[in-house]
Amino acid sequence: MLQYVFLEHPFFALTSLLYLASTLAYGLAWVSPSRLPGRIGTALMAAGVALNTAVIVGRWLEAGRAPFKSLFESLVFFAFCIALLYLVFERLYKTRLFGVAGGLMAFGSMAYALAKWDAEIVKLPPALQSGWFVPHVMVYFIGYAAVAIATGVAVVQLLASRIPFVHRLTTLKAGSVLSGEPLDLDRISYDAVRFGFVLLTVGLLVGSVWAKSAWGDFWVWDPKENWSLVTWLVYGAYLHLRKVRGWRGDRAAWLAIIGFAVVMFTYLGISVLPTAEESAHVYTQS
Amino acid sequence: MSNSSTSPGPAPEAAPSAAEREARLVTLLVFGAMVIGAVVQIWIPPGPTTLVAATGIASLVLLGLTFLVPGRLRATLTGFRFTSSLLIALAIFAILGTLILQGKPAELYRAKYPAVAGLILALRFDDIFHGLPYAGLMALFGAAILASASLRWPISARRAGFFIAHVGLLVSGAGAAASSMLSVRGRIDLFAGGDVAHQVRVTKGGVATGATEQLAFELKLDQFDLVNYETEYRVGYYEKVRIVRDGVALDDYKLKTSFDPDLGWHRLPQGDRFRLKAIYPDFEVAPKVTPAADGPAALLVTLAGRPQWLQPGEVVTTADGALAVAFGDQLPAPPGHPTAVLVSAQERRVVIHRADGDATQPLTDGLVLLGGAVRFDQLLPHATRTAVYQTRSRLWNNPAVVFETELNGRPSETLATAAQPRGVFLRDGRSALVFEKRDKEVKAFLSHVTARQGNTLERAVISVNDPMDFGGWTLYQVNYNPEDPSYSGLEAVRDPGVLWVFVGFTLICVGVFYMLYVEPRLRGGGIDRPAPPASTAAPV
Ligand code: HEM
Repeated sequence: MLQYVFLEHPFFALTSLLYLASTLAYGLAWVSPSRLPGRIGTALMAAGVALNTAVIVGRWLEAGRAPFKSLFESLVFFAFCIALLYLVFERLYKTRLFGVAGGLMAFGSMAYALAKWDAEIVKLPPALQSGWFVPHVMVYFIGYAAVAIATGVAVVQLLASRIPFVHRLTTLKAGSVLSGEPLDLDRISYDAVRFGFVLLTVGLLVGSVWAKSAWGDFWVWDPKENWSLVTWLVYGAYLHLRKVRGWRGDRAAWLAIIGFAVVMFTYLGISVLPTAEESAHVYTQS
Repeated sequence: MSNSSTSPGPAPEAAPSAAEREARLVTLLVFGAMVIGAVVQIWIPPGPTTLVAATGIASLVLLGLTFLVPGRLRATLTGFRFTSSLLIALAIFAILGTLILQGKPAELYRAKYPAVAGLILALRFDDIFHGLPYAGLMALFGAAILASASLRWPISARRAGFFIAHVGLLVSGAGAAASSMLSVRGRIDLFAGGDVAHQVRVTKGGVATGATEQLAFELKLDQFDLVNYETEYRVGYYEKVRIVRDGVALDDYKLKTSFDPDLGWHRLPQGDRFRLKAIYPDFEVAPKVTPAADGPAALLVTLAGRPQWLQPGEVVTTADGALAVAFGDQLPAPPGHPTAVLVSAQERRVVIHRADGDATQPLTDGLVLLGGAVRFDQLLPHATRTAVYQTRSRLWNNPAVVFETELNGRPSETLATAAQPRGVFLRDGRSALVFEKRDKEVKAFLSHVTARQGNTLERAVISVNDPMDFGGWTLYQVNYNPEDPSYSGLEAVRDPGVLWVFVGFTLICVGVFYMLYVEPRLRGGGIDRPAPPASTAAPV
């Protein structure tokens, strides 16, 4: 498989490798007193994003349509969103602490796509030929990437209070932390959820407007729709619960993680549901 | 807003015992609403009207109670603990709706979920989103938002987000209620150039109810176009997968990727290599004749403009059978042909055989007979004839390729035509290459229609994702018949609620953004933090 991907689709392989390499560099930054590994991590991640962009644009041109149709295509786009958003977060919070999480998720998404290699370019059926297709998918995937990052931060947050090494990392000035300012993990995770939630809300709206124009109904209780609603409600509960005393910190982190598990099920798991057969949304073999 | 007190604004709870009391009340409210709903629906069957009426009435009753009943009801109902629990309860309902098939006959549940079928049917979870337990939750939802809004009144710039978003939720809900009660949908079957449609066959959940609804206008299908994607030829790579169909595990081949038909070597995911050694757009098998030291003779004959090599004993005829050419030394004239030309290689002569007698003449290179119908070009005394693959033209009339595969280092070649696609199996059939024609992939269905209401006439092209609005109805392209290109199936929908659903959704989007990004700034930057984080990493 590896040989095949390298020979037939070198840019896919290289993008994945860049994400993996950036993960390693960011990991090295955790333990190195020098700033260099962290910087290399950022550079590799940025290169990964650039190549990922090229891969997406290339496929867009080859397919003659937006490359968001199949699971394979969406995974490649998901990797791109995670990596890009991670870089924005790195800049925003001036920390490279989460580089490993960001890199691993971007690499994981690419690796899953490559390992399954359901790469056939499928023609767009009439229902997908809509002006809503691209904004719907883009908004959702950027939203998914945001909550993915929130989850990465939440995991670090939970580990920080349990594992001294992780706790030390969150307070590191040299190497992984750019500015040396204290990190408010709860806040960072909340910020990512907040951003993701706005996008999930818009995604839901766009999806239902599209459903109306394609199927004649704004809501058909399709499993994918239902699970998108579940995702939205869970993060809605998260946002409301933050206003209840005692629901920040660890509990909020767990909720963010549960929310992301629901997101992942919505994205990848719908096909196991008994109602999936009647769904218009499940990623089938194409 | 408080999480447990009645005063707006982020105030922490007073004491753990109050929190416990609140948690108990929250549980009571959420479960109470569902249980009441479950009990009441013993007498009132679920359905859109039941749902909407029950939600509306219960919501208002509950809201009234929050003002009338002393104690913590209102505070609890407007508290964040309650709101979150309610959202999770609604999420659980949404999940159940994907775990339990909806709207199926009772026997199906008994067969599919024997252990819990009784419970599903008793609770009416077979139509979960129209049942009264769900209505109970929706009633709590409505009442809670209204009660929260009453606490926050009047609107201020710092609180506008709450109103915009949560009023949006109510507006969407009201729109959805109007939609589920008042909307009409149904099917219109049209034939190009056929009858004009005046009515809709009403459907519920995609099934015809037998009722019809007048359109109040005439609809005619002028033309129906089924547009396919361009035909293309590709090399498909398939892998064997296990699938379960109707409970039975089967092997199937799944298309993993495909290649342009080109001559380069390609690596395959399972490690093998292949290339197309030759590509024939208009494939045919043609004989190739070469002179030899011994062996039978060969004669190049052009009959009706088509050159062919014949060997002794072979006969070619014109398409209508009027003329035959037979090559051989002592051949009888082949029966059934008015004219037969018999060629002897040994004697180098030609006999033209007709019913009225034979005429003989010597065989020479370039000999033309019967006014140019037959021509002899070359006679080889000894020749070998082999079959070769070739293309008749550059047009993709009958494409074929020769696969060269390398399996574990061993090469092999296989001819494959697109007309009769056969897999080149690799790795004991675990994967396969197929040279395939891709056509009849539907790109668009286009119904060219004319709608007429009185003097108003409108022509439009309806396609998937591009419906037509006319006379209060929206017409969607939903069906076609590959066997009958004149047929078009449309769905007609009249939905007075949908606009409000979208107005509500837009308000939700704007309000959520406002609450999460604008209000914190208006409050003086940073995020709203009513309670200190429980565990924030402490930097050195
Ligand atoms: C039971 C129904 C609901 C009630 C009673 C309710 C009530 C509230 C209240 C009182 C606030 C605080 C406003 C303020 O800061 O003054 C709030 C905030 C919010 N609500 Fe709701 N809400 C409900 C449902 C929803 C739903 C379904 C969503 C979307 C999933 C939602 C999204 C939000 C958001 C995003 C905030 C802002 C949270 C923040 O500031 O961090 N609400 N809600």
